[in-house]
Amino acid sequence: MKTLKEMLSEARQVVPEEGPEQLQRRLKSGEPVVVIDVRDPDEYRDGHIEAATNISRGFLEFRVGTAVTNPSTPVVLYCQTGLRSVLAAKALKELGYATVINLQGGYQKWVQSGFPVVREVPMTADQIQRYSRHFLLPQVGDRGQRRLLRSKVLLIGAGGLGSPAALYLAAAGVGTLGLMDGDVVDITNLQRQVLHTTAEIGKPKVESGARTIKALNPDVNLIPLPMRLTVDNVMDIIKDYDLIVDGSDNFETRYLVNDACYLAGKTNVHGSIFQFEGMATVFAPNEGPCYRCLYPTPPPAGLVPS
Amino acid sequence: MQATEAVKLLLGIGEPLIGRLLTYDALGMRFREVKLRRDPKCPVCGTSPTITDLSIHVNGGGACEITTDSHRERVSDAVGALPKAGG
Repeated sequence: MKTLKEMLSEARQVVPEEGPEQLQRRLKSGEPVVVIDVRDPDEYRDGHIEAATNISRGFLEFRVGTAVTNPSTPVVLYCQTGLRSVLAAKALKELGYATVINLQGGYQKWVQSGFPVVREVPMTADQIQRYSRHFLLPQVGDRGQRRLLRSKVLLIGAGGLGSPAALYLAAAGVGTLGLMDGDVVDITNLQRQVLHTTAEIGKPKVESGARTIKALNPDVNLIPLPMRLTVDNVMDIIKDYDLIVDGSDNFETRYLVNDACYLAGKTNVHGSIFQFEGMATVFAPNEGPCYRCLYPTPPPAGLVPS
Repeated sequence: MQATEAVKLLLGIGEPLIGRLLTYDALGMRFREVKLRRDPKCPVCGTSPTITDLSIHVNGGGACEITTDSHRERVSDAVGALPKAGG
């Protein structure tokens, strides 16, 4: 009969190990990789690597096929300290998965290395119903919804573009929305700026917007920013958000958003509109062009009506 | 459209509009897609950027001071549209 020690050392001979830094590099590179947390569900809920799917050790061989559709995709397994997962990895190798890697030191070492983890907050009964149609979409599902609830989006402008974006993002359950606008609601806004109502005329747009958003989805933590975006506040504000949605109505702000997002490495979902025409694109730093690749400088004053 | 793009980016699903400009003409009810490329001469994200901090924005209108008109014409031709100011 083999001792546990012998089993572990046999497994280590066939299973390569990688440390937290290497896994983080793999995840950042965008190369396909499947990360499986083989601990029990309660351990997973208490905190796990965001990209990881939970299949506890006992079910691994039965359920791995749903998580890893292509057996040549690299699979990284981890448990609490790296022991359960090395045995699990050996089993996957025997099942024919080409590249199976054990996370050396497990979840414990990942946490000690200061890499991010997520904690599963149980959804309320209302949330389960509210987002039930998202759960039916395989690309969203329970996991995607949790991710949306953890996400932070900054909306620059609560006008014609910011209004529908804010409503849809709030409805979808994006957990934190920063709403930035220094204006007050004017009656002339109301034929298109659907975040605001007649009763709110004269009130700051972010206050009006906050009321509408709260009424639509109380899950949303709306951060009102009743000010204009300036060179002095932009970096400090955008640093807290995962994504910026630019719905500004002037070139000065738009160039400022572009330059600041590029410098801060934030993706900017850009939109603009004039009369019956609109345009939309996404500026992702170093993945694609930025606004200045399109229009290096603002048009001369008077050429483009605002 | 911006909200859908935002959700896709947050979830890492689908094909985001990175490097593509979608234009919408409501009167003609037409969508057009224009491929956008990074400009190696871009003052912000090009190979030798001239804008490496936000100082150009101090005093507001400073962002207007660089002129590369030929570039703008080239891009405007490709896009077939002037930038839109309205939000």
